Amino acid sequence: MTRTTRPASPVTASPATASVRGLTVSLTRGGVTSEVLRGVDLEIAPAEIVGLVGESGSGKSVLALTLLGLLPESSAPRLSGSATVAGVDMIGGSAAELRRVRTTELGAIFQDPMTSLNPTMRIGAQITESTHSAAESVRLLSLVGIHDAAERMRAYPHELSGGLRQRVMAAIAVSGTPSLIIADEPTTALDVTVQAQVLDLLRELRDRMGCSVLIITHDLGVAGQVADRIAVMYAGRIVELGTADEVLRRPANPYTVGLLGARLSLGMHRGGLLTTLAPETASVEERLRGCAYHSRCQLATTDCATETPSLDPLESGPDGHLSACWRSPAKVGSLAASLPARAGVELPDLTSLVPIPAVKGPAVEVVDLTCVFRGKRARGRATAIHAVQGISLRVEHGEALSIVGESGSGKSTLLRVIAGLTPATSGTVAVGPDRPQMVFQDAGSSLTPWLTVGEILRERLLPLRIPRAEASRRVESILESMGLSASIAVVRPAELSGGQRQRVVLARATIIPPSVLLCDEPTSALDASLAASVLNLIRDLRERLGMTVLFVTHDLAVARLMGDRIAVMNRGRLVELGDADSIITRPQDPYTAALIAAVPELITDRRADS
Amino acid sequence: MIAFLAKRLGITIVLLFTLSAIIFFLESIAPGDPVKAYLGANASRVDVLAERHRLGLDEPTIVQFGRFLAGLAHGDLGVSFRTHRAVTADFAVYLPATIELVVFAFVFAILLAGGFAFSAALRLPGSSVYRGILLVGSTAPPFLLAIFGIVLFYQQLDWLPASGRGPDDAGPTGFLVIDTLAHADLPGLASTFQHLLLPGLVLAIAPAIGIGRILRSSLESTLSADYVRTARSKGLSGGRVLVSHVLRNSIGPAISMSGLQLGFMFAGVVVVEQVFSWPGIGNYLANSIPVSDFPAIAAVTLVLGAIYIATNAVVDLLQAAADPRLVT
Amino acid sequence: MTLITSPVPRWRAVSTGFVAGRRLTVVLVSLPMLMTLLALFGRILAPHDPVQPVGGLNLPPGSDGFPLGTDAIGRDLLSRTLYGVQASWFSALLVVGVGLLIGGLIGVIAGVTGGWVDAVLMRVTDLFLALPGVLVSIAIVAALGAGLGNTLIGVSIVWWPYYARILRGEAKSIAARPHVEAARLAGISRPRLILRHVLPGVVPTAVVTASLDVGNVVLLLAGLSFLGLGQSAPAPELGSDTARALSQLLSEWWVPVVPGLAVLIVSLVANLGGDGIRTLVTNRR
Repeated sequence: MTRTTRPASPVTASPATASVRGLTVSLTRGGVTSEVLRGVDLEIAPAEIVGLVGESGSGKSVLALTLLGLLPESSAPRLSGSATVAGVDMIGGSAAELRRVRTTELGAIFQDPMTSLNPTMRIGAQITESTHSAAESVRLLSLVGIHDAAERMRAYPHELSGGLRQRVMAAIAVSGTPSLIIADEPTTALDVTVQAQVLDLLRELRDRMGCSVLIITHDLGVAGQVADRIAVMYAGRIVELGTADEVLRRPANPYTVGLLGARLSLGMHRGGLLTTLAPETASVEERLRGCAYHSRCQLATTDCATETPSLDPLESGPDGHLSACWRSPAKVGSLAASLPARAGVELPDLTSLVPIPAVKGPAVEVVDLTCVFRGKRARGRATAIHAVQGISLRVEHGEALSIVGESGSGKSTLLRVIAGLTPATSGTVAVGPDRPQMVFQDAGSSLTPWLTVGEILRERLLPLRIPRAEASRRVESILESMGLSASIAVVRPAELSGGQRQRVVLARATIIPPSVLLCDEPTSALDASLAASVLNLIRDLRERLGMTVLFVTHDLAVARLMGDRIAVMNRGRLVELGDADSIITRPQDPYTAALIAAVPELITDRRADS
Repeated sequence: MIAFLAKRLGITIVLLFTLSAIIFFLESIAPGDPVKAYLGANASRVDVLAERHRLGLDEPTIVQFGRFLAGLAHGDLGVSFRTHRAVTADFAVYLPATIELVVFAFVFAILLAGGFAFSAALRLPGSSVYRGILLVGSTAPPFLLAIFGIVLFYQQLDWLPASGRGPDDAGPTGFLVIDTLAHADLPGLASTFQHLLLPGLVLAIAPAIGIGRILRSSLESTLSADYVRTARSKGLSGGRVLVSHVLRNSIGPAISMSGLQLGFMFAGVVVVEQVFSWPGIGNYLANSIPVSDFPAIAAVTLVLGAIYIATNAVVDLLQAAADPRLVT
Repeated sequence: MTLITSPVPRWRAVSTGFVAGRRLTVVLVSLPMLMTLLALFGRILAPHDPVQPVGGLNLPPGSDGFPLGTDAIGRDLLSRTLYGVQASWFSALLVVGVGLLIGGLIGVIAGVTGGWVDAVLMRVTDLFLALPGVLVSIAIVAALGAGLGNTLIGVSIVWWPYYARILRGEAKSIAARPHVEAARLAGISRPRLILRHVLPGVVPTAVVTASLDVGNVVLLLAGLSFLGLGQSAPAPELGSDTARALSQLLSEWWVPVVPGLAVLIVSLVANLGGDGIRTLVTNRR
């Protein structure tokens, strides 16, 4: 294989704002030392927005902290290679030098603005710490789009909404006109509509102030919306780098292709299986010997398992598009083309499951439901929070309904009332004939940590009064139906991965098939590919068992895939209810329209109606 | 804020009432008959009954309790079996000495605790020896520490006195630090501090560890908080981050622990005062216990308890001032 | 058919640093067990009757036949100390056990039940906690009259609220976790829910809290005994033995120091053992 040996060069010729060369970082956490970054090269040009994309554990946040010179000492970081910001070495530089760079050259925005702001300090004081002038602080607050900036200066973080808090973080980040803003998952903790505003703000700040931005995200869509260039990380290495347009339209690395395929969009086909990445089968040592992705890669050859590919420019292609892969871009391209048709994972065999008997009439009927919580006393008065206000719903047997809304919309409360976990203040709920089962957002915490998987599953069978041996047989068979090994029955939940836990939760819910399955954001904590495989499983279970499914999510793309109908909730009220596709293509309510507009879409996505 | 203050005041009143009720109840089951104590063991039955009637001891319990509370309100804490004086009169003599010792020890404890917590959280080199000594000290009974202190600093080194408060109590306040200053008696002031040092240190060690451990763990968790990372990303200096971001957010648990430890100090002071012959209320209590002088014991419990409850109310207010989230 | 087999391998595990700490933990945890054995067999190990004069007056430690010396009336200090350690250790365990039992019961009931039951139980608990416990216990013992039984009653009365508060918090947080809701939805009966899905989660906290507390109780009981609120005169008790020999401190220092040191050792063992148990429990989770 011949390869050109041009050095990786940034798009523009002027000296880079930040430059990372051969960066290797080892961290020790909980007594385990691991190499989190393994030779990263990246240059950020002036006024450029670079999107750094990867799944959890890929090392993307560690790269951000290294550039800030803020790797936690408690994890005993060992670094080699170089990382410079504005010409200053952020690895070997003196503490005073790093501090100067952080003051004058760098700004940072972190994932959760609630925890990233000091709870006992007024907003104004927190900004003025870096601006050294109250007037400048007010100006910056206005700059990031906060109205009544002068009054907001006296507010404490807990008195602001999530979006406003992130704007405050942005104001702190831009103080002192930095040359680079590092934004680590700045939108992940925010609602969709707010996400879009924050991304717009970042772009605007770059345009106005001419600073560079490194935005770190797990979502190619978010990166595609704001970034000029995208770097894709996998297992501590950058595996693909290029302009946003190039990477999204002509991905040259199989992993990028996989990520793109697993991404759910509003425009994809609703029928059929969702594409997922193949699960990891190689051991840690095997992975590190060659290309870390080889055991999951459909194009892998024997070379891939033994030789690590370097990040090199493509043989044919525009300048600045680099990929670390042994296979030719043409091969990868054909893989991308075949994507919608092929699935990474075959589905487990569900034929052993017995469908529930068909019943006529509604499975869930909610009439004029209201749910009021007494809030914390504020200034001597008890506040009432109307979590759910006058909702009526009817879901037929075998139907799937998605309930969509932002945080605080009351969607989860509605589901909990239907489940019988939260009492209704007024109105009626009829579910039946049997007790509904529920799948929770955080699968890990919904499994009793000190019981084994087998014990948890067998408990569901107690009312049947079947002999122990038969119960164990049923446990084994349901685990296998979920694509899990039967040997997992003796393991406690903490030893399972996130995806495995969610499968165990599904096994518990369906070991005696319920007529109604309630799902509360079951995939929002999972990486895209794992999420897709869990969604596949839920859809298949519903089909085989004839269950009614109520699926709560904040993600319209997921809602459209999982529901025959979609209910949109806002501030405790049902604002729109209708057929899934027509809600997406012809929203009647302005709030629904705003939600749809805010979904980060790839340039390659097509709308369902086009 | 006003609602918060009113609520805290209400709680304080309920606590004081409960403490009084407990003491009243204990007084009624305590051995030792106050009537016999007045009249002597040989009093006739008729005299005893008459005296009981005069004291109201034949009335319903609730009436007696009402009278008890009314007495408390007027500062009537009963008469000591041992000294045959009004307990309040005894208190006027002994209480200032105890308060002076406890306040001194408390300041000592805070300093030791701060050293313990910061040296650990900031990983100051060599500080683990200091923490080790303090930790072992905190597991020792206070009377043993006092004994070691006396043997080492008095008998062997002859650096510090082993008993008493030093200068005579010449008034007006009974707090020697204040009185000697008022009389411009500098040698007296020095002697006062010399006498305070050993009992103060002995009394301070256990609370210092209690407070220091809490402060250390909250410092450590605050140091790894996201907003501290934000503060550092602003390019603030280490000291600045520590003072304006770490300290204020970690001080809350330590403040409430300080309040709790103060309660233990009021109890510990009884033992310490006895070993050092400190003429305070603890010594008074220690001398009352062997002769079952219950009115005196009850009064000490009541007064020290009230001081403890009042200090904790202040502690709560301090905490609210440190953390605006607690008030709204 | 793809099987996601047994647990995923830990990503990039290079080394684990757990071995050195483990041995220390084992040593620490074995300390309180040794102390229990010593307390159990202390009477057999004691060479002399602790109450009767058996040797010369005020013999220093290392004297022939009296390794820790004798006191002012010629009683063997080693024998008195062994008896005293037994009383001290078992009394402390008893107070902690009673506190754990009463406090645990009240705390778990309050935490799991919630509503007005929780409100009432916790108001009472908070009331007790806000009072100066040690002083109140001194008053209680003084009112009941000195004696070991009364001391244990007096201390236990003020000691349980601490456990009730902590375990109620733990039970409440566990009862509010999704896994309990999930178990409820799975149709599990209420008693089983509490026994299988809540209680096992409370146990580690209870064990750690209690084991770290034994040392405090040892010191408190020794302090009360020092003030004369323990067993009556001739009985061997570490606190009161120190108090009674205080006047000898500057002449025959060992008479007050030996029982005092014994308290330090008992309390140190309790604290080290507590730390070991905490390490053990937190690492197992």
